[in-house]
Amino acid sequence: MGPLVINEIISANTNLLIAFLIGIGFGFVLESSGFSSSRKLAGVFYGYDTVVLKVFFTAAITAMIGLLFMSLFGWIDLDLIYINPTYVPSAIAGGAIMGAGFIFGGFCPGTSFCSAAIGKIDAIVFIGGLFIGILIFAEGYSLWEGFYKAGFKGIPKLSESLGLTDGLLAFGVIIAAIGMFYVGEWAEKKFPREEY
Amino acid sequence: MNSRVIFSLVFVGLGLIIAATPSNTTKAYKLTAEELLEEAYSRNQYISPDEVADLLINKDPAFLLIDVRDQDEYEKYSLPNSINIPLTNLLAEEWEAYLDQDIRLNVFYSNGSLKANEAWMITRQLGYENNYVLEGGLNYWAETIMNPEKPSSTSPNEEFAKYDFRKGASMALGGGALVGSAGGNKPSAKPKIASRPKKKRAAGGC
Amino acid sequence: MKNNVDRSKKYLNPYLGGILLGLVLLAANYMSGRGLGASGALKSTIISSVNAIAPDHAENSAYYNEYNSTHPEPLKTWLVFQMLGLIVGGFLSGAIAGRLKFKVEHSPKITSKRRLIFALIGGVLFGFGSQLGRGCTSGSALSGMAVMSLGGFITMAAIFGTAFMLAYFLRKNWI
Repeated sequence: MGPLVINEIISANTNLLIAFLIGIGFGFVLESSGFSSSRKLAGVFYGYDTVVLKVFFTAAITAMIGLLFMSLFGWIDLDLIYINPTYVPSAIAGGAIMGAGFIFGGFCPGTSFCSAAIGKIDAIVFIGGLFIGILIFAEGYSLWEGFYKAGFKGIPKLSESLGLTDGLLAFGVIIAAIGMFYVGEWAEKKFPREEY
Repeated sequence: MNSRVIFSLVFVGLGLIIAATPSNTTKAYKLTAEELLEEAYSRNQYISPDEVADLLINKDPAFLLIDVRDQDEYEKYSLPNSINIPLTNLLAEEWEAYLDQDIRLNVFYSNGSLKANEAWMITRQLGYENNYVLEGGLNYWAETIMNPEKPSSTSPNEEFAKYDFRKGASMALGGGALVGSAGGNKPSAKPKIASRPKKKRAAGGC
Repeated sequence: MKNNVDRSKKYLNPYLGGILLGLVLLAANYMSGRGLGASGALKSTIISSVNAIAPDHAENSAYYNEYNSTHPEPLKTWLVFQMLGLIVGGFLSGAIAGRLKFKVEHSPKITSKRRLIFALIGGVLFGFGSQLGRGCTSGSALSGMAVMSLGGFITMAAIFGTAFMLAYFLRKNWI
């Protein structure tokens, strides 16, 4: 029963090897879906290319229902998998700053590495920026430590906060995602980009 | 267009199934009712007083007697080296390491076998292994080990062998009729058990 | 124009790509009990560099101290290995599809230099935001959504919401 490393079916070192293999899969899928192109990524915000929206939400709903089915079959103990803790103010502020970074730089950290791997110089510069940004955060930590740790809510699930079962929430997210896919496809027709 | 419709329908279908199933029934109880019934019916959870006496005399370290009666009953009389986990406290966190482990043989006992059986059934449903029940409880223990009945002279040899063993066990374990803890049969201190680290959520995040 | 069509065909169908990415994420959860990530690996790299270059500073600064106390070997973490794999995987895919090429990708309306300056600014913002928000698009938003974390949904909404709001002002860079 999963997660394998928690249930000591695989060792901590094997886990690192698995991390490497998972990374290869991650990088391969990102690159072959076109996430190595910043203009393709940014396209979602202008409607000319919504590949980000499609890949991102398809991946989220696939993993979400995958986990729920695996739990249903007793293959994985959902109480043992990592759930991101929720700190409301820093999640909103951090997300907003990342959103600005996304539209300025055209990448997110994962895709920038993927893009740098195939030789995009703008991605390499973006990675340089990432390092600077993290360093700034680390050096000025005392200035925003209070804000960083404010509003801790534990590790609630959205389903719990809304009072729904996990299954119902997953169904809602699937419907929302499919709705967005149709809007995305419509937008691609409505706002075509002339050249590539 | 067609493949998009199929894609949407597959996801909506899976979503409907998962929305309609009660979430995560696999966690709390590890055994289905049928499996549990079968195990209970097989009576494999019982361990006879003779076996327990044997383990006790040999001071088997991989063996722990657990008294599931109330504390005052336990204080009045208990088997040597047993610990007390009243049935009402069975699910307390402090006992989890004792009950959910795979190195020792745990034997629940109570006056009869009813309470011990309840304890066994609950732990078994939680998926714990290596927990057993003293057959017949203390009452049967008293009859067989403490005051063994001499077999009639026509009995087969095994009966005599058994009787001799019980007689010996009775002597070794403080003998005679059931006596209170005054008879040097003091409830022992809790044995030290290295509790296994509780499984923690995986660490993660960026 | 025809050339363009051929080129874009080389990319995977986005829904297929999404399902594959979802399966990778599922595998990570099944085997390692955690989701994917990216920015955490950069943080580990920075912290171990600071540990090596300025150990005194790392000792005295709260942030490095907090991290070092829980991670004895910052570079021997799951995310670092996953990111190494990501680079290999991205390179393989690019090599197979014939996309390996040193270049600066930018809209014809702007210069390379402008693109690089904006990439740097974006990187700094994203790096900072990923630390404040405890994870980036992959670590917090994608992996968090898959496990239905409230924080994951909030971060996801904040990232995409802000980017949409600012998109109009930066349209020249992309369209």
